[in-house]
Amino acid sequence: MSSIEQFRQEARAWLAANVPSEPPPEDGPASRAFVLAWQRRQAEGGWAGINWPKELGGRGLSVMEQIVWFEEYARAGAPTLHNASFVGLNHAGPTLYVCGTAAQKAEHLPPILKGETIWCQGFSEPGSGSDLASLKTRGEVQGDHIVINGQKIWSSFADIADVQELLIRTDPTAKTGQALSWVICPMDTPGLTVRPIRTMAGVRKYCEVFYDDVRIPLANVVGGLNNGWATAMSTLSFERGTASLALLIGLTLQVEKLLADCPASRPQMRARLAGLRAEGASIRAMNYRVALDSENSVPDATGSMVRLAFAEFSKRVSAAAVDLYGLDAPETVGAHGWAHDYLDAFSETIAGGTAEIQRNIIGERVLGLPKGPR
Amino acid sequence: MKYELTDDQASVLAGLDQLLGGFDSAPPTAPVLFDYAAGLDRTLAESGFLDIAREDGFGALDAALIVERLARLPQVVEAAASALVAPALGVPAGTRPVALLSGPLTKPARFLPQAQVLLADRGDHALMITVEPDNVETVETLFAYPYGRLKTLDGVAQTRIDDVAALRRRWRTALAAEAAGCMASGLETILEHVKTRQAFGQPLGAFQAIQHRLAMAAETVESTRYLAFRAAWSDSESDAAIAAAFAQTRIAQLTYDLHQFAGAMSMTLEFPLHLWTYRLRALAGELGGGSRQARAAALATWGEAA
Repeated sequence: MSSIEQFRQEARAWLAANVPSEPPPEDGPASRAFVLAWQRRQAEGGWAGINWPKELGGRGLSVMEQIVWFEEYARAGAPTLHNASFVGLNHAGPTLYVCGTAAQKAEHLPPILKGETIWCQGFSEPGSGSDLASLKTRGEVQGDHIVINGQKIWSSFADIADVQELLIRTDPTAKTGQALSWVICPMDTPGLTVRPIRTMAGVRKYCEVFYDDVRIPLANVVGGLNNGWATAMSTLSFERGTASLALLIGLTLQVEKLLADCPASRPQMRARLAGLRAEGASIRAMNYRVALDSENSVPDATGSMVRLAFAEFSKRVSAAAVDLYGLDAPETVGAHGWAHDYLDAFSETIAGGTAEIQRNIIGERVLGLPKGPR
Repeated sequence: MKYELTDDQASVLAGLDQLLGGFDSAPPTAPVLFDYAAGLDRTLAESGFLDIAREDGFGALDAALIVERLARLPQVVEAAASALVAPALGVPAGTRPVALLSGPLTKPARFLPQAQVLLADRGDHALMITVEPDNVETVETLFAYPYGRLKTLDGVAQTRIDDVAALRRRWRTALAAEAAGCMASGLETILEHVKTRQAFGQPLGAFQAIQHRLAMAAETVESTRYLAFRAAWSDSESDAAIAAAFAQTRIAQLTYDLHQFAGAMSMTLEFPLHLWTYRLRALAGELGGGSRQARAAALATWGEAA
């Protein structure tokens, strides 16, 4: 048996014995408790941070083992990773790994893996979504601190998070590339207020965050003061290229279940699902390639192809599921049903850079086309 | 089919608009998933607009015009089945709200918690069932309309109706007309947004990527409206099935496009778009969904050979 196959068998056995039977809460303190407890269990079993370095609490294995873990994780029906652990594990953590100081890594990465901290993202603002570079939240350097004033929005799980990856304007006169800073913002800092927002999918996942003279140590800047645009591009590259790999694998397995549930008397639906199966397989192949190519580095612009394809795929799968089951199936109502997934999937082509931004990146940076008007 | 309103139709719609003046704004309370507009329901019942298809000189087309107009309101009220379906099935005037159902009789149906009568598609016939409020269980759903299911079939008063084709035909026309109104208001909401929201130093609506998709959305809205009106005008099975199939199969892409251009804000209950998205998604699944209407259209148009 190859070492990869042996790894797969061990992962399968551990998951079979340890996957929680209860459904995960969707939001709020119960969600936080569930996510941290499940992450701790994985860490104690040696299954957290498969390809993270050993000195930071990981297993020190390759991306291939990480992929196998995600495959087995989905196969076992383990709790969705589209939860409060997502930012820390998939883009704040990796950003710290490539851009952070040794001290920052040592302080913040092991707690993510051990299920001790939850991270959230603070990039978008009410007036700055796709045009992220126009953000206004101000960070003024005063001695060895930065004093922050402003507002962020669409910060998923900010109400239950411990730490935020926060992008602020620290030089109001400079151009974008020299004007922003990416800082580690503890959520219990005085002057910080969080307001959850209920979405049309029926959950309170997104939050507004208000900063009123919030003082952050200068030592919390990641990647250099006024160099935050470059650091943020690393974060977004992870978010687009590799962060959704586990979710994608899970979604392709859900398509298999839809196919199994689709009666032969519905040939058009079977054909539609078969098309989705092919689409899922192709995106998986593309995503595996991006993940393998970016081992120990930041994914390149082809990550936008993964992000775009995954986002459109998720919408199509949930739409097909709602059409397959109709409104009378019990699983289509409530926070965990397909109705929720269908409505929540509307955000897939918005989060992490809209589908239009991804198409611009693909056109300009992958295909080498002239830059369009902005 | 003429594309201009007759004097009578223009007069009816002007009267309706006057009546609806107080119902044009979204529910002012804290965000709610849905709330049946009882006030609007009473106003409509008293006005007689929903009985227009029963009046001499008027018919299904006039009812469809009213249904489409009402569906533009950010209010959830049962109108389409009352105005378009009930008159063709012999339901007495004033017996409403009307719920519609296909499939098992204990399946959830829109408006059943409010309904006085349930019209059910039973395959080779239809049933008119008197709804007793105590016999309705409310069903949890995210799709904005109030849903309920019958608790028991024991002892329910029901009348057999042989002309099940009339139920399906009018139901298809009704859902297309309602969808057209919801689509129109959703599009209008987003057009306002992209004209005012700025990104990269200009209004969102100045970007061609956005203009192109909203142009396609406008085509969907217009097409749905005219197909619905044509179906009501001809009252033919093929036109009704085509209108419903078109509306239902376009709903997913249309709602995706509309939400896309209000960004994450469109996902919140503080932005009104969800009011129509919920309803459109519910309409997309009625009578088995778009592919079933498309098969029905093929059958009605070309027969078994298709």
